[in-house]
This record gives sequence, C-alpha cells and structure tokens, in this order.
Amino acid sequence: MWSYDKKLQYPVKIKNPNANYAKIIISQLGGPDGELAASMRYLHQRYSMPYDKVRGILTDVGTEELAHLEMIAAILYQLTQGLSAEEMKKAGMDIYFVDHTAGFYPIAASGVPFDMKYVGVKGDVIADLNEDLAAEQKARVTYDNILRMVDDPDVRDPIKYLRQRELVHYQRFGDALRIAQDHLDSKNFYAFNPSFDK
Amino acid sequence: MNTNFNDRTALLHKIQAEDFALYEVALYLDAYPKNAKALRYYKEHKQLLEQLKRAYEDSFGPLTLYGNQSDTSWQWVDGPWPWEKEAN
Repeated sequence: MWSYDKKLQYPVKIKNPNANYAKIIISQLGGPDGELAASMRYLHQRYSMPYDKVRGILTDVGTEELAHLEMIAAILYQLTQGLSAEEMKKAGMDIYFVDHTAGFYPIAASGVPFDMKYVGVKGDVIADLNEDLAAEQKARVTYDNILRMVDDPDVRDPIKYLRQRELVHYQRFGDALRIAQDHLDSKNFYAFNPSFDK
Repeated sequence: MNTNFNDRTALLHKIQAEDFALYEVALYLDAYPKNAKALRYYKEHKQLLEQLKRAYEDSFGPLTLYGNQSDTSWQWVDGPWPWEKEAN
C-alpha cells in the first residue's frame, strides 16, 4: 500500500501567475508523456515483471512519478492563482475554464483528455523496458520544449529539476534492461520472451 | 502486547490490522480534528503500530524504502512482493 508525505519532493514557489505557461505545462499532468502516464505505466508493468530488482525499480520510479505529478499540479496551481476571467480568456484558457472552472483535469496542452493509450503495458520484459526508456526521453524532450518557451526562473527551476529526474530514470531503466538481459538465453538474446516462456 | 512473533505472516496480519485502525481514525479525524476520544485512539494505536513495524523490519526486511536494516544488502528488492500469494 501507499502512504502520503505532506511535502513536495522539490520546492515550488512562483511569484507571478501566468496563464500562458499553465496552458502548456498542463501537458505534463495529462499529456502523452506526462507524469500521470509515467506513474501508471510503471506501477502497472511491475506485476508481470519477473525479476525482483526490476520490480523494485518500477515500484520506486512509479512512486516518484506520483510526486512529480504533484509538483506539476503545484506549478499549475501557483501559475493560475488570482487570475481574472479576462486574463484567462486572453491566454486562451477560457475554453478550459468553461468545463473545469479552476479544477484540475488531466489533459494535454492540445485539450485532449488523459488517455490510457499513453500507458504502454505489453506484459513482455523487453518490450516494456524499451517502452520505459523511450518514455523517459519523450518526457525529457517535453520539459526541454517547456524550457524553450518559459522565461520565469521561478517556473524554470522546478521544471529543470523534473527534466533532470527523467535523465536519472532513463539510467535506471538502462540498468533494468541490462538486468533483464542477463536472464535471457544467450543463444536468443533479443527475441526470447522470459516472462512467458521461462 | 504479544511480541513473540517469529511467524512473519502473523506479524504482518497484526500490522495490517493496526494500520487499518490508524487509517480509519485518521479519516475520521480529517473531519473532526478536535475529537479527544479519536485523538487518544490515534496516539495509542500509532505507538503500537510503530513497535510492530520496527519488530517486523528487524526480522523480515523493510516495509518502506526507508526501512532497510542491512549494511551489506539492499533488502528492499527481495521478494516476494506484496501481490504474490507467498507475501500474504
């Protein structure tokens, strides 16, 4: 089971609200390479993962992604505090406001609601871990793109932290893939399906 | 309190029961944060739960990321994992 720590993993303190930034950063809440997708991907992959060390990595990274989801929510919260309807409208947030008011609804920046299609679970060790390696890189690119469009250092600082964590997770999934490959049949290194054929 | 737990499963079930008691009163306290009876219950069961968790981790390995006791091994990754029959 899980327990909740009443603190962010890394501080978020944004002085100036900015609906334009919120409008793009919301993609890391409910977008294709966002933190919700990341957490759900790893926490569901772990059940069919046959190796204890890799189960550990999936559990711990999946749990950390929940903490990142909370950081993104904190960034969005502070970016939208005290904004007038007029300011929301100017930033094009009126089309979000009409359905969700000031509520937190996981969507991509394009407006597409969160979709479990973002969560790759094939039930195969090699397929799933390669999915995870790609997912961490895609999340890193999304943070790079956010950093290209956001100037405020108060926003950039926690975003840079989150970007850095994607790199670390990529390294850990690299370890996980190596661990999995150590279990594979040397005659059939890539095509073997260890979770099914044993 | 019976502290003679050499059976991992028996100790685990005791922890699950105490954890549930604590969680249940926590939910109640969320809505009634000044309730003296509930606060007393919380305090009592929190101490009991902490003792049980310590006893478990000393003998059977970590319950959380922060409970690894060994200086020579990261027991956190040792199976069985919670979703397996053998862990329950």
